[in-house]
Amino acid sequence: MPPKGKKAKNGKSADSSSTPGEASTAASLEPFPPAEPGPSTSTAENKPKGWTVFVQSQIFFDITQPPTPTWIDRSVLEGKGGAEAAALWLAPRLAVTHRLFYPNELGKVLGPKSQEEIWKAVNNSPTFPLRVIKRRQKAQSFGIDSRGREVGTYTLPEFEAREERRIKLSCLLLLSNRFSELRDRERRGFDKSVVVTEQEYLEEKARRKEMAQLQKKLYGTQGMAKEGKLALDPEWDDVTPIKLEEPEKALAAIAYTADYAEAMSYLRAVMHAKEYSPRCLKLTEYIIEMNPAHYTVWLYRAANIFALKLSIPDEFVWLNAVALENLKNYQIWHHRHLLVENYWPVIASDPRAIAKFAEDERDFLTKILAEDTKNYHVWSYRSYLVGKLNLYSDPEELQSIEDMIDADVRNNSAWSHRFFLVFLDPKNSSPGVPATQPDSKVPGHLVDREIAYAKEKIELAPQNQSGWHYLRGVLAKGARPLTSVEEFAASFVVGLGEGENEDVRSTHALELLAESYIGKEEPEKADLCFSRLAEKWDRIREGYWEWLRQQS
Amino acid sequence: MGPKRVAFRWKRTTGTMSPSNPQQFQRPSSAGRTTETNSDSDSEFVDEEIFINARQAASAMIDSLFTQLPPIKDDLVTHTSELQDETVDIVLPFLSGEDEEVQYNEHGVPNLTREKHIQFLQQSLGRLPGRFVAADASRPWFLYWCLSALAMLGEDVSSYREAVAETARSMQNDSGGFGGGGRQLSHMATTYAVVLALALVGGEEAYEVVDRKAMWKWLCSLKQPDGGFQVCLGGEEDIRGAYCASVIITLLDLPLDLTPESPAYKEDGSANLFTGVADYVRRCQTFEGGISGQPNAEAHGAYAFCALGCLALLDHPGRIIPKYLNVRRFVAWLSARQYAPEGGFSGRTNKLVDGCYSHWVGGCFPLVEACLNKSKDPKLPPPTQSLFSREGLIRYILCCCQDQTKRGGLRDKPGKMSDAYHTCYVLSGLSSAQHQWLLDDDDEDANLETAKTPEWIALPYLDGEQIFDAKDRVRPIHPVYAIPQPNVRAIQAYFRAKEGF
Repeated sequence: MPPKGKKAKNGKSADSSSTPGEASTAASLEPFPPAEPGPSTSTAENKPKGWTVFVQSQIFFDITQPPTPTWIDRSVLEGKGGAEAAALWLAPRLAVTHRLFYPNELGKVLGPKSQEEIWKAVNNSPTFPLRVIKRRQKAQSFGIDSRGREVGTYTLPEFEAREERRIKLSCLLLLSNRFSELRDRERRGFDKSVVVTEQEYLEEKARRKEMAQLQKKLYGTQGMAKEGKLALDPEWDDVTPIKLEEPEKALAAIAYTADYAEAMSYLRAVMHAKEYSPRCLKLTEYIIEMNPAHYTVWLYRAANIFALKLSIPDEFVWLNAVALENLKNYQIWHHRHLLVENYWPVIASDPRAIAKFAEDERDFLTKILAEDTKNYHVWSYRSYLVGKLNLYSDPEELQSIEDMIDADVRNNSAWSHRFFLVFLDPKNSSPGVPATQPDSKVPGHLVDREIAYAKEKIELAPQNQSGWHYLRGVLAKGARPLTSVEEFAASFVVGLGEGENEDVRSTHALELLAESYIGKEEPEKADLCFSRLAEKWDRIREGYWEWLRQQS
Repeated sequence: MGPKRVAFRWKRTTGTMSPSNPQQFQRPSSAGRTTETNSDSDSEFVDEEIFINARQAASAMIDSLFTQLPPIKDDLVTHTSELQDETVDIVLPFLSGEDEEVQYNEHGVPNLTREKHIQFLQQSLGRLPGRFVAADASRPWFLYWCLSALAMLGEDVSSYREAVAETARSMQNDSGGFGGGGRQLSHMATTYAVVLALALVGGEEAYEVVDRKAMWKWLCSLKQPDGGFQVCLGGEEDIRGAYCASVIITLLDLPLDLTPESPAYKEDGSANLFTGVADYVRRCQTFEGGISGQPNAEAHGAYAFCALGCLALLDHPGRIIPKYLNVRRFVAWLSARQYAPEGGFSGRTNKLVDGCYSHWVGGCFPLVEACLNKSKDPKLPPPTQSLFSREGLIRYILCCCQDQTKRGGLRDKPGKMSDAYHTCYVLSGLSSAQHQWLLDDDDEDANLETAKTPEWIALPYLDGEQIFDAKDRVRPIHPVYAIPQPNVRAIQAYFRAKEGF
């Protein structure tokens, strides 16, 4: 600490003991204003409120450093040369340390006669350079505060408040160190009686927060050792965060918030140390809250859960809330997949547990699909789950999909899932048959049922492509020719090529019809369908219709 | 037209409008209307009158396919049809040349506002504000999206070489691959993006960033016995993984052998990095004909591109695609992704058009065409004309996907904010629509070991009328690697010439 500061502090404590307000302190000093303010205190006035720390410090210096008798070599005063020699010896010293000669101070050392002689000597001396003695050149800095202001320019009340904080911070630091010591002893474990209580832990957390605030007020963010949420948390004391070092020219660098940057630097540290612990789990939750699209964090979270053998159902509960808040996020769904994989061995041998789990999952999926009916990742997960839990022929699963198709017959995701449920059920299908290829293992009654279902839904909205894609998919699976639905398709097409009479209610019907004609080797009929599609009913796909016509 | 036909409910859908595009609120939604007359205008609005006349002339040139409702519409209203109606409502004024702030050419198509898009992309490569935190695990994508888009816009991106190399280096893991940022797990998607970004800036300094030996080992550790790839250690397995891996392997000229540590390793050495990949792709084709992200899910445009791209890297598309996919059903599904009047592509059946599918779906067509052009199967004839409406796609892109405010960039659809992702893939789609690719016909008996990467030749597509101005043609990209071809050749040649790692 700079000597000036120490002096100022001493001075402050001296007068704070005598008076509650600096105004009176200043007033008592009024008879001794400096001849001139310090170099950087040009605004200082001879008024109590204008008195800055610099001014105060100067006056204290002047008062508290009188030339004491010990300074004066009595042999000089008493020896040859007498007063003149003494004066020449003494005067520079006075001049250097004082800007003024205080007559009463000098009087404490010398008798009136000696004083008179000194002054005479000084005045008469041809060598004593009274006028060129330099004053102290510069007031030393009292430090810079958090806003970049010189503390020396503080008014006394301001300075008082600042000192209050400094003292408080020092006290808190002592308590904090005591806590750390206690906790370290607890960790070493030699003395079992040393226990850090929850209360002490919470106190320390609050204390650090207060310390950080004080530090910030006193010194700003510069040079602060700890500021972030984690750095202030005693739980993370033993972790040295790994800061991200972006190269100077890094492209698309993100200006992270302080909290995110801090959390990530702790994550890097614990991942590097391969730590799996409850605090790591908490950390992942904290980061996911800020950025749910971070695959590294999710995988690390899963690793923690599995390493700590934490309750998977608990994690599902937590995850459901996160998923509902982040509908478009897909890391969530891989995480869920990993959870199921891990949970499966626990329930695999218990049909009731499987049924319960399946029900819970379906409830949740229904809920989230109500928010976002075609969410790709939710549907992908759903098909995975059906496979894992063998829910293909679960009537509730099929019913749930039918409900969704009833709600929106154009929900193609629901149609896709239905196809998967019916035609990829291992019970009813051969493994490895491509989706567009016939499968002899698919029972005929299922094919019939699904054709009827598709037709019924197509009637509701004939231009809905989902129903037609489904119908064609079913036909292909069941090795049924397109001609088997030709009549159905034809019901949506009236008077094709007959000018005014022509009416088409579904381009998909017309397309199917055309391909059916190709199969029956009726190229003229097919040709007409393609022409009408290209010319009128679905012109944007003209190139495609032309290509199909090339095949007819 | 039968009695079934009902009028669209032309309601305002301001909820999805972006405040950054106030001009779109000023225009009336005028469905069947193709021209605007201004009988109230008097002589003091001569300029405006001339402008409107020009507009009339322009809109007369727009095929009603793009300015009117589709000829068939079901009565039944569901959530899906509501969203579709709203979308048509939003895009029609843009397609009809009614944006007063915008100049249209004689085909009713605005210019590509290159300078604005370039500026937008350059900004996206700079320091991103804190709200981009969700992109913290996908920063390499920003490199690829922006550099690729800049390259397509004709910018020389080699000036970014040092910065890309430095950035990439900070994301590389000693255990191979690149993460989404420093000290993040290596991920297939981010590695793909980094490798393409390095190829885009080119040069030894960029290429040498990649630790190829570690990369190879890492890829081996992700290879699964069923043929697919996990996207990262402990991550999901999907078709993105297979496509990204194939791109990385072939661009970096990595050995195909598996390390003994690989989950797919076989004692007899019969398995390599490409073993079973095509089978995995086959399992992703759905009953609709399209491709799903993993087996048994819904057909989706983005995965369709991954599937075809992946196959096209394994062998000539003409041989491998018909071998593993039902091409007829695939093309049927692919073609059905294009909607009118929008002109753009949707990603799935009964979903909305989105500018990004201009690439994911639009980018499939060059590969399909390369496949059909080689086909000897009468059921799969070489098409005599474009399989999709290039005009429709170009209209959708230039009219609807450009953010015409000073922000610039391209977007999903009017009312959405432009972003780097859409800017890249919309421009890639524009490149697909403006060019055609020929694939040199290699030897029939060439097998996988000796076959070189087939050489693609890009030509401007010139059949029919060009509705866009000549200066608005973007640079063609490689149909599989989605970066300019010279960049593909350069990086492949560099690593091929290297001995060992």
